[in-house]
Formats: sequence, C-alpha cells, structure tokens
Amino acid sequence: MNETFERYNRRTHIIGRAVTVATLIMLLGAPFCIGGVLGAMPDLGAVARAFLSVGLVWTVSSVVEFLVYTPMLGAGGGYLAFITGNLINMKIPCAVNARDMVGAKTGTAENEIISTLSIATSSLVTILVLALGVLLLAPLQPVLQSPVLRPAFDNVVPALFGAMAYRYYRRNMDIALTPLVLMSALFIFVPSLTGSTSFMVIPSGGIAIAIAYLLYKKGRKGASN
Amino acid sequence: MDILQQLNSAPVYLICGLIVAFVAAVCVVFMVRAWRAGIAIGMDKTKMKRAITASATFSVLPSVGILLGVIALSGSLGTPWPWLRLSVIGALHYETQVAQAAAEQVGMGTLSAASMTPSGFATIALLMSVCIMWGMVLSVFFNKRYTRKLGAGSGEGKGGGFGDLAMTAMFIGLVSAYIGSYVGGFVSGGGLFTFGGDWTPLVVVAAACLAMAGFMVLSEKKKMAWLDSFSIAGSMIVGMAAAVLAGAMA
Repeated sequence: MNETFERYNRRTHIIGRAVTVATLIMLLGAPFCIGGVLGAMPDLGAVARAFLSVGLVWTVSSVVEFLVYTPMLGAGGGYLAFITGNLINMKIPCAVNARDMVGAKTGTAENEIISTLSIATSSLVTILVLALGVLLLAPLQPVLQSPVLRPAFDNVVPALFGAMAYRYYRRNMDIALTPLVLMSALFIFVPSLTGSTSFMVIPSGGIAIAIAYLLYKKGRKGASN
Repeated sequence: MDILQQLNSAPVYLICGLIVAFVAAVCVVFMVRAWRAGIAIGMDKTKMKRAITASATFSVLPSVGILLGVIALSGSLGTPWPWLRLSVIGALHYETQVAQAAAEQVGMGTLSAASMTPSGFATIALLMSVCIMWGMVLSVFFNKRYTRKLGAGSGEGKGGGFGDLAMTAMFIGLVSAYIGSYVGGFVSGGGLFTFGGDWTPLVVVAAACLAMAGFMVLSEKKKMAWLDSFSIAGSMIVGMAAAVLAGAMA
C-alpha cells in the first residue's frame, strides 16, 4: 500500500507544481491579453505602488493561510485549494467536513485521498454554478438580488459556521469555550477588528490548539472529533 | 462601444473561459487520480462516494453566494473577469476590497463603470492577480517539503495522534473567531456596548446550529445515516431562511 501511495504522492507533487505554475502564468497573462483586446496595457508603475499599499497585507495573509491550512488540506488538496481559492468560506470547511464524515485521520493516506476528492468536487461545483449563473445572468440577477432574498445570501458564511459549530463544539466544548469567549470579548471591546477576522483566526486557533495540547497531555482528550 | 460592452465582449469571455476550463480539467484530473489511488490502496468505495456527495451538496449554497460576488463586480469590471476570478484562486471577501483599493491607486476614486478606462481595467486586473498569487507560489516551492515534514500525505501516518486533535482545534479556533466577530458586531457594532449592531448573523448561526442538532439526532439516533451527507447544506438553508425572516422583521 505504502509503495502505491508513495508513487501517487510523488506524481501529485509533479502534476500539482506543473498546473500551479501554468495557472499562475495564465492568471498573470490574462490582464495583458485582455488589455490587448481593449487596446491598452496595465500601468506597471501603478501596480507596483498599489501592491505596496494594499498587496503586502494580502501577501502576509497568503503566507499565514499556506502555513495554517496546508496541513488540513494535504498535498493534492493543498495544490487544488490554492488554485481554486475561497479557502475559508468553502474549501477548508468542506474538506474538514468530508474528513470527519468518513472518519479519516490526519497524516493518513485515506485523509489525503478524501481531502483531494472533496476539494476537487467542491471546486467543480463552484465552477459549474458560476458558469450556469453567468449563462443565466439576466433572468437570475433580479431573483438573487431581490431585497427579500438578499439577507439570505449576505449570511451564507454565518449559516455555514453555525452548522459547523454544532458539529465540532458538541464533543469539544472544553476546547471551544475559551477561544469563543476570548474572541467575543475581543471583538466587543475592539469592534474595528471585525474587518480583520481572517487574521484573528490565527490567535484563536493558537489558543484552541494550546488547550487541546494540555488536555491531550493530561490524557483527557483523545484524537477523535 | 462603451467600456462595459468591451469588457463583456466575446474575446474577453474566450480568454477567461479558457482559463476556467483549464482549471476545471485540473480538478477532474486530481479527482480521477485520487479515486483510482483510493481503490488501489484498498479504500472503501462507499466512503469515497460519500465524501464526494457531501462535498457537492455542501458547496452549492456557498457557490450561489459567490455568484452574487460576480454579479456585484460585473457592474464595474464586466462579467467575464469576476467570473474568472471567483472560479479560480479568488476569494469572495478579497476581490471587492482589492478591486476597490486598486481603483483608488489608478486614480479612479471609486470602482465604477463610469470612471473605468481600458488601461485602468488592465491595471486593476493585474493587481488583483498579483496580490493573491502568493498561496500558489508557496505551494510550488514548499508544499512537498511542508507536507512531508508534517507527515501529512506521506501515507506513513497511522493517525490518531495529537496532529488530528490539533487540526480539529484549529478549525474550532477558526469557527470561534467568526462567531466572536458576530457577537462583537452585535454588541459594539453600533458603538461600544450599545447592542445596536447587526444581529442577523447571530440569529443565522443559532438557527443553523439548531438545525444541525436536529440532523445529527435523526442520523445518529433514528438510524438515518444517509441524511448526514446533506446535513450541512440543510442546516445552511435553515440558517439562510432565518436571515430572510430576520430581514423581514427588521
């Protein structure tokens, strides 16, 4: 089994790197191609200035996302998730949910396979929904943007995290309570931080991991979800 | 031809469509390889099918939310570019912010079709690509080393150690940060301790939570295990319906 999986894994890295580089080239080349169609090229000076003012924050965010989420996603899932995006609001919960549902454990071949299947499926569904949505944009736009349905689509992420919260909190309240209380208090006293919630995931996750480690060391917590 | 007509023209659709098609093909390749590898190492097909079904149902509603992002940006950037960005690499919360910041940097003041120029568009599009590409760059250079160091994906791990609990804890931290932000938004969003902020996300979280509890009871206690694959999507629908009710009451 190990040899078969090792061969699969080696090929995953080769294919993953190749398609990531190809996607990068296409994404960076597209603005120039579209510029060619429009008869104007990007202003590289403005891009450099804008990158220094807004891009550095996103660069730091990308590094943090890579370090934090790659262990959750595995090798194949990692390549795919960083190519297809929407990590926090879709790919991470999706992969974690699939892993949990079939009982795959971190670091196993099973986890790697399930994570890759999950992220590939999720990405294909998004691509399909967006393609259909773009195709049917004219009839769909008034429905999706109607004032009645608007609150529903503004709250997709709270709905997702509400559902996931029950699933994960119910067996791990001893881990969840402290970060939940601390984060609530932090956002209450510094409400401006709500614009940086994705960054606050790091201390929140750090606290949860530290508590989990203490419980694990004391033997009060197993590895099950 | 005005700028939006140009941005929605067939050649722009073709350029963006080809990239989306390429990424879709990549997903299919990864999926087929993972499926075959799973069978080769003796994994249960039912488990793999369950992971696929659960992931597909899970992704529909967030994808519709992402479609709204495409619609929101299409008024200023045309439809093909936001379609590409949000199908590939982009993130819903990121695109609007960076597009707006880029528009300010190219001297447009605000992101709108009225002030958009071909050069402005090309510059904004390039900046959007440059700003978010670092996760991919890091993957190219460090994914292999990093996953091997962690033992993830090596296939050698037996699971069940602290690593598994750490991943669960990290995810709990992620969820806690977001729920904490909704609590803070409600309590202090309209001013410190005024309880005048937006309470809809908290209602949605509570409704989705309760719905998930219902699904878990049905799947675990009433032996309706098949429901588990649809529990997240079902709970999200309940949560989103609660948002509609809250909106009607507000």
